[in-house]
Amino acid sequence: MKKLTDEELMLYVSQGNLDAMAHIFERYNKRLYNFYFQMVRDKAICEDMTQTVFYKVMRYRESYKGGQFVSWIFRIARNEFSDYYQNSKKTSRHIDVELVASKSEDSIDKNDNVSHLQEAIKILDKEERELIVLNRFQGLKYSKIAEITGSSEGAVKVKIHRIIKKLRTVYFKTI
Amino acid sequence: MNCKDIEQHIVDFIDGQLATDEGEQIQKHIETCGNCKAFYDETVVLFRAFNDIEEEVPSESLREGFYKLLEEEKQLSNPKIVQLNKQEKEFPWKRAFQVAASIVFLFSGYFLGSHKTKQDANQEIVALQIETNELKESVVLAMIENQSVSKRIQAVNYTEGFEQPDVKILEALIERMQYDGNINVRLAAAEALSEFPESSIVKDAFIEALTTQKNPSLQIAIIQFLVKIQEKRAIAPMKQLLEHSDTPDFVKEQVNDGILQII
Repeated sequence: MKKLTDEELMLYVSQGNLDAMAHIFERYNKRLYNFYFQMVRDKAICEDMTQTVFYKVMRYRESYKGGQFVSWIFRIARNEFSDYYQNSKKTSRHIDVELVASKSEDSIDKNDNVSHLQEAIKILDKEERELIVLNRFQGLKYSKIAEITGSSEGAVKVKIHRIIKKLRTVYFKTI
Repeated sequence: MNCKDIEQHIVDFIDGQLATDEGEQIQKHIETCGNCKAFYDETVVLFRAFNDIEEEVPSESLREGFYKLLEEEKQLSNPKIVQLNKQEKEFPWKRAFQVAASIVFLFSGYFLGSHKTKQDANQEIVALQIETNELKESVVLAMIENQSVSKRIQAVNYTEGFEQPDVKILEALIERMQYDGNINVRLAAAEALSEFPESSIVKDAFIEALTTQKNPSLQIAIIQFLVKIQEKRAIAPMKQLLEHSDTPDFVKEQVNDGILQII
């Protein structure tokens, strides 16, 4: 089972073989957790959201009809994050406030470059941060990001280039 | 390729996403253009910073939570199959025993019941028969003393149903035969008594009656009975009848015939 592709594993799961789900968890739990962690630097919240994604994958396994698994699971992850973001806005716990507040502690023993980058990322809005995280942290290509966000490859490319330019400016201005 | 193009393609160039010739052109431009060289270096540094960010490791509770959810999901999606498998695997001994026991109880109950009612019914029938006979006997004894001739005859006729009548009945019949005022009752009693030839008191009574009875019809009936049972003791009183002057001739003829048959 370990030699199977993500898509093959998920097809097993969708046909009711829930044991294949464990392999999917092992392959994706860190990835999803880190995706969330770059968005919201709160371990408990990130673990909650990661857990929920796997729960939804299991629950709605039958809705998987083939296609890029990574795009499919990140679409679920992104929806989950949107829900969380909406709720946090309603309860007046602004996500960016949390980000700033928790930032300083975990950047202590990291090198300057990293803390500097993280400062730069702070100026991005939610959508921009999502795109840059998917592209630079998750290493996803424009085509897959387009699938995840429901956009076109060209549009994604233009947006990401613009974000990188923005980050570069801020990063080297403050250095 | 101008500086504007470089700005647009620099990310893909660093990521190695460009076609070979395009990449070469950018490479050449960067080597000659100071601004673009700086632009390139900055982007590389920025990307290196991205790469330097260490991967965060989720706590073990995430894994534990997931496997708990997985187990729950398995339970949810397979409950029917699990139950069916269990039923197939395990023969329901308990249920089978219950069914077998109920069948055994049913049949044993039926047989016990039917046997008991049969016994009871038999006992009841015997008791009823005894009761009926006793009743008949008492009826006979009561009616046989009745003033009405026809009732007395009826009572005498009742005794025909008895296989082994009581001594009281026989004595009552004998009394009727000997002393009843009506000849028809006496004849009927004689006829009834002739049904019990094995009884010694009946035999004695007939022998006695042969000497006492004067009615020819009755005399003939008595002679016929005694001849039929081959009663040797009857010969002496029969001979006495022959000597009597008031004995009718046709009775004497019957006596002669009878004596010959007995001997």
